[in-house]
Amino acid sequence: MDSIEGIITGFQVAFSMQGLLFVLIGVFVGTFIGMLPGLGPISAIAVMIPVTFGMEPTVALVMMAGVYYGAVFGGSTSSILLNAPGISGTVATAFDGYPMAQQGKAGKALAIAATSSFVGGTVSVILLMLLAPILSSVAVSFGPPAYFALMFMGLTLITSLSEGSTIKALISAVIGFMVVTIGIDAQTGTQRFTFGNVNLLEGLDFLVIALGLFALAEVCTLIINRKDLSMDNAHKLGSLKITKQEFKEMRGPMSRQSILGFLLGVLPGAGATIASFIAYITEKRIAKSPEAFGKGSVKGLAAPETANNAATSGAFVPLLSLGIPGSGTTAVMLGAFLVLGVQPGPLLMTDRPEIFWGIIASMYIGNVFLLILNLPLIPYIAKILKIPRPLLISLVIMFSIIGVYAISFNTFDLYMLLLFGVIGFFMRLFSFPAPPLILAFILGGMMEQAFRQSLTISNGSLMIFVQDPLALTLLIIALLSLAFPLIQQIRRSKRA
Amino acid sequence: MKRWITLIGFLVIILTVTACSGKDEKATGSSGDWTPEKPIEIIAPAGAGGGWDTTARMAAKVFTEEGLIDQDIGVVNKPGGGGAVGWAYIAGKQKSSYNLFVSSPPIVLIPLNGQSEYGHEDFTPLANMIADYAAFAVSADAKWDNLNDLFEDMKKDPASITVVGASSPGSMDHIQFIQIAKAAGVDVTKIKYVSDQEGGGLTQVLNGSADVYSTGVAETVEQVKAGKIKVLGVSSEERLEGEVIEDFPTANEQGIDATFVNWRGFFGPPDMDDAAVKYYEEKFKELSDSQAFADIREQYGWDEMYMDSKSYKAFLDEQKEEIQSLLDELGLSK
Amino acid sequence: MFKALNQRISIILLIIAVAYLVMAYQLPAYPYTPVDADVVPKGLGYLLVFLSICLFFAKDSETEEQRSRRNIPLKDIGTLIAVFLFILLYITLLEFLGFIITTTLFIYFCSWFLGYKKHLTNGVVALIFPIFMYITFTKFLQISLPQGLLPF
Repeated sequence: MDSIEGIITGFQVAFSMQGLLFVLIGVFVGTFIGMLPGLGPISAIAVMIPVTFGMEPTVALVMMAGVYYGAVFGGSTSSILLNAPGISGTVATAFDGYPMAQQGKAGKALAIAATSSFVGGTVSVILLMLLAPILSSVAVSFGPPAYFALMFMGLTLITSLSEGSTIKALISAVIGFMVVTIGIDAQTGTQRFTFGNVNLLEGLDFLVIALGLFALAEVCTLIINRKDLSMDNAHKLGSLKITKQEFKEMRGPMSRQSILGFLLGVLPGAGATIASFIAYITEKRIAKSPEAFGKGSVKGLAAPETANNAATSGAFVPLLSLGIPGSGTTAVMLGAFLVLGVQPGPLLMTDRPEIFWGIIASMYIGNVFLLILNLPLIPYIAKILKIPRPLLISLVIMFSIIGVYAISFNTFDLYMLLLFGVIGFFMRLFSFPAPPLILAFILGGMMEQAFRQSLTISNGSLMIFVQDPLALTLLIIALLSLAFPLIQQIRRSKRA
Repeated sequence: MKRWITLIGFLVIILTVTACSGKDEKATGSSGDWTPEKPIEIIAPAGAGGGWDTTARMAAKVFTEEGLIDQDIGVVNKPGGGGAVGWAYIAGKQKSSYNLFVSSPPIVLIPLNGQSEYGHEDFTPLANMIADYAAFAVSADAKWDNLNDLFEDMKKDPASITVVGASSPGSMDHIQFIQIAKAAGVDVTKIKYVSDQEGGGLTQVLNGSADVYSTGVAETVEQVKAGKIKVLGVSSEERLEGEVIEDFPTANEQGIDATFVNWRGFFGPPDMDDAAVKYYEEKFKELSDSQAFADIREQYGWDEMYMDSKSYKAFLDEQKEEIQSLLDELGLSK
Repeated sequence: MFKALNQRISIILLIIAVAYLVMAYQLPAYPYTPVDADVVPKGLGYLLVFLSICLFFAKDSETEEQRSRRNIPLKDIGTLIAVFLFILLYITLLEFLGFIITTTLFIYFCSWFLGYKKHLTNGVVALIFPIFMYITFTKFLQISLPQGLLPF
């Protein structure tokens, strides 16, 4: 069979000396850039494109793939250690990773992140290898009605992100949704809530809100507690070892989220950010002790870290097999292909099997490299926490500021960052949870656009959501997940 | 309170440094030859990786590597508002000879949509470099085989056909389709246009959600080769050259008298010095003629389309007028 | 009146919701779409009105730990405001003075202000760190940070 032969060629490419060397360079550079504030896979790939000029395409692309997932991997470090997510795909990582680091288990948290990234990455590459040809049809099967249903399903899970008051969680979510309506509306070109300010035309960047609500709000708390001795735990690195018990806990989320994350990655437009959030909330939903989430739960850290890496491999399905870039990152990746004279698309697998399978095969090795490269480095990276608190506070602020500036190159966004820092601090004071706001910001915008695209196509008829079998299925699941807690409650009260 | 002294110390130092630093921008004499004396900045009014960014970085690279310009050239990204943020920044650099930027049709479209204070008239056009064209594609099993079939159906039942593109209404993907459709006699106010900014346009045509994909020529090539979509027409004046794309019929040859060019070129700030304009004009000409840049054009599938400052300006004015009348008809002009 | 904290917050939210709704009603209409740009914002506005009314009548469900977060000593409030001003100044002068100068000054003075007494370490970190970041970004990654007054 052709594809078996192709797979063998692919492994030959990946295991050649040159292949191994460039995968190593790729993941190393990617991890490093990913750790820098504001620089995620998009910038990492963009800055590496000129380096590939004149290189042999296969080798160059194997390296670029390494840069891509290396950068996704590198982004989690600052989420865990500083509560300052460098990229959007690692915001959910901070929910449990940061509390765990605060409890003196920073080393362990980084080790869990590395392990689950490795598992997510590897499982999804296997899926990619087996399913890429088949899945290419799934990737295009989602029309606007199905996207609407998918985002709606995500939003129904929002209340499970709250601790305590459901009303407050819903208010946070509505405000997040309101924030995302700022800017030029894609369907009509109407300016909404921009106050005539050019800087608001494209809306607020996700990272401005995430860094404000998480990193800067945390800075405020750190300032207040800077002399509190009970916080000294945070200076401890703790053991790197993951115990058997913990590994058992990770197993479930890792196996489920590798698959779910991969599938969400396959869908154009969904990607690592949405995958990591959906992973977090589904795991919290089905966990036996959901109250542990948000307080340093092993599952809560393993789930998003598995999913964001799995989604990264998933995103290669539409890119390689259809030539469709499903996200900003894969669009830049497509640019890298074009510069090297390689056009990804339906013909890539047959015309250039060494490239198609070479990239996929190299991802196995890349993931192994990531693990062996990063585990020994953890003790050094975690030393960041040993920095005396006043200095650390200044550095976190600087990190957030460069992070935003490297995306927008604009001081306006920095003022917005500061504003969201203040909002985040007040939300903490009055017990309004921040995760629903962030989630609604991500899903809400896409949901509104998909909803209105659907209705334009159907000339205003709502039937389009029922006629589309995919959309209908997803909507039913969403309604069930809304009804489920209610049914549980009724049952419980009957028993009582 | 000792630590409050720190605060005051910080303020004093900051203010001193600020006060001691009257920026002195030397104005160069406008007579005779001008050559740059300090690093040049090229603004890409978009994020890393897009078309503007790529053009700017490639131009800077060739300028430096071929030794066309001795000074350092830095590319700076100013994303936001589809370009509006970057343009506002350049507008503040009046008369500077060291701040250039790259742009394309949105600099005409976006001001007309009321989304930017500044349009091409506010800047100094230096040179146009490259051209790209629009392509209109449908699924391979669609019932239409040419633009006239499609437009015939659009005239009969406009509500049944959806056009999808990446930009919002009034912007490029929308306008390029409207321009061709109008010339074919379609009632442009009845065209159903959906915007999918996540690059889902192609997906929507492949899965049948939308019918027509309005995009650039390069985006269609691979899918056509694979037999997934067919291109009903392109917006260039004559047939394009190259594998596959030479088979794409132009709108012109189908009896529709309209074209649309996605041009891309370089501009300077308002009131740029004439000597500097002349300098850059020549340099861009050299760039356009160089083998290194020709290779880059081929790599990215761009066409050569050099225009000097004067003809560029005339071209832009003409473009604006044309689009203005289209938007008026749609009732979208602001 | 409105003694309970939830009630005061709900009044603020109600004001935000009404302001948002007023703006949503002023959005211009676009002729070629079945669902215009104002539909979703209006829905969100009314939803927030509804939720803030719910919050007004909701029982206080905060835990003791959550409540204790609000007991901030007056001195710390002063510190917070001062750091806020530091950041504001940092941002405002970033593009003018350049990344290295503002960041160095910011790290040094902010850390000192927050009680860090080792001036030598502080000074070295405040200088090395921004320079390292600046060189990494501008020289290796070709991503420009504000150069400001320095010649490189």
